[in-house]
Amino acid sequence: MQPTKQLMVQAKGVQKWYPNGFHVLRGVDLEVFRGEKVVIMGPSGSGKSTFLRTFNALEDYQEGSIVVDGMELNNDLRNIDAVRREVGMVFQQFNLFPHLSVLDNLLLAPTWVRKRKREDVIQQALSMLERVGISEQAYKFPGQLSGGQQQRVAIARALCMEPRLMLFDEPTSSLDPEKVREVLDVMRLLALDGMTMVVVTHEVAFAREVADRVILMDEGQVVEIAPPDQFFNHPKHERTQRFLAQIL
Amino acid sequence: MKRSPLTLQRQLFGSLANSAFTLALFALLVWAGWGVLSWAFGSAQWLVLRANAATLTIGRYPDAQEWRLWLLLGMLTSLAGVSWGRLRGLNNWPLNDRIAALLFVISAVLLPWLLAFGAINQLRLIFLVLLLLLLRQWSGGAWSKAFGKWWALVWGITYVFGLWLIAGGLGLPAVRPSDWGGLVFTLLITSLTLLLALPFGVLLALGRRSGLLLVRWVCVAVIELIRGAPLITLLFVGQNLVGFLSPNGFAPDRVWRATGVLTVFAAAYLAEAVRGGLNSIPMGQQEAARSLGLSSVQTMGLVVLPQALKVALPALGGQFISLLQDTTLLSIVGLFDLLGIARSVLSNPDWLGRYAEVYLFLAVLYWCSCAALALGSRALEKRLATNYS
Repeated sequence: MQPTKQLMVQAKGVQKWYPNGFHVLRGVDLEVFRGEKVVIMGPSGSGKSTFLRTFNALEDYQEGSIVVDGMELNNDLRNIDAVRREVGMVFQQFNLFPHLSVLDNLLLAPTWVRKRKREDVIQQALSMLERVGISEQAYKFPGQLSGGQQQRVAIARALCMEPRLMLFDEPTSSLDPEKVREVLDVMRLLALDGMTMVVVTHEVAFAREVADRVILMDEGQVVEIAPPDQFFNHPKHERTQRFLAQIL
Repeated sequence: MKRSPLTLQRQLFGSLANSAFTLALFALLVWAGWGVLSWAFGSAQWLVLRANAATLTIGRYPDAQEWRLWLLLGMLTSLAGVSWGRLRGLNNWPLNDRIAALLFVISAVLLPWLLAFGAINQLRLIFLVLLLLLLRQWSGGAWSKAFGKWWALVWGITYVFGLWLIAGGLGLPAVRPSDWGGLVFTLLITSLTLLLALPFGVLLALGRRSGLLLVRWVCVAVIELIRGAPLITLLFVGQNLVGFLSPNGFAPDRVWRATGVLTVFAAAYLAEAVRGGLNSIPMGQQEAARSLGLSSVQTMGLVVLPQALKVALPALGGQFISLLQDTTLLSIVGLFDLLGIARSVLSNPDWLGRYAEVYLFLAVLYWCSCAALALGSRALEKRLATNYS
């Protein structure tokens, strides 16, 4: 850890109700520091994905506050746009743009959001594809790639915006088991590079190896926050013990 | 159990009943075909088409201004030739276009002769087809790729220029829209309506999904009101009521009023096709685009709409074909589209009773136009296909 910890995400007392009245986030607090890797676990319906998606305002919230990289996510749309430019996100369903080639998927945001010339970013995009190990697929379309390859393209696409924070929303949950590893390997490399990462996942081995802290969420609240060793081997809360007993 | 594939022979002559049925149908076809052929080469009097070929093509367009239409045709032919060549250069161009080229040559020789266009027009048409085929041959090369980006613009400028050529004004003697007619009029009003209705329809579809309640209500009201009325009634409203209600001389020309009605009508149906496409695009696409920092307008224009239009393309193609056929209703409100001009020819005592010849000719013309639209939209579908999963 750096000597002075810089805050990347600061969430305080975040509460959210769905339009149907369901109280999905019940006062969540979390601080993520620059360079830190945080893994969020929890049963389905615990609100962990919803919480993650508030970090780049894909979900709104009714009470509390979230500050990302010094910018508060409130009703100011300029802040939301600014945060989204700095925060990359990887989805469970990849969400590549099927009508664009792999390369154009990568170039879309840098050219339209950052207003950079296509020729100037093409090299960066190709080297990004090399980094995730699929440079030979640059001119194919997403539909021609396997799930693992698609997810690696999705990671490369987010990285092309040079984000300061990467959010992963169950990135391996819709992959065939043998494809999970190639995606996690890319994420490990990213972690080694010092990227700040918040990851919602069920991959225990990944959490043990990469995470600085692991969080358990249940029923819209943070139950436990601990370093992985303590979280997996000596959990304090009974709820965490029950959860681990089910997944380990 | 392995099932042998049904060959044509087994389908037609698999059993005694099948064979009897096949033979009976075949006999019926031969009898009907013989009837048509003996009429076409026997009692049919094709003179009506030869004598009125020019009228059917350009209506009451003044003879002295005919050169403008020829010039326009020449420009469109050149552009079409270059576009054809460029499309052929793409590796996923689906058509075997030797047949198409052959059809052009045959029709350039045969049609003017059949319709007695006269030697000069015959030569002009042959020249145009030669131009088309030569440009097709040359335009695969580097020079056309170099300004590929601007090609759509060239078409657009030519279209506007063509409207000016037809209508006149600004130096050229004006030809009033009510003097336009025939095939030229049908093609003009169809293409104009199509070009105006598509963007309008997309806006209506987007409005119908808008979060702004007032916008949504207005769009729903427009779409449902128009889809709830037959086109012919709307055309009558446009032709009679609008002229009746507006002060003398302020109502636009009847042709423009009809264009407006057709545009709004087509837009309402196109909007529903586009909405179907929009609904088929998963939320994840929008979320991914927004999470990359794209604005809502960029997300719609770069990510959602291109995919939605692709999905809607078969339905849109169908609507375009309907639109072409709907222009025949203009003849009922007294405009001289292809059908209208044919009716006026048939009302001439000289050509009394030549319905079958004229209407058969129209049917073939309409069929060819619709088939061209259908082939075009199918080719576009294939070209845009990127989903292999």
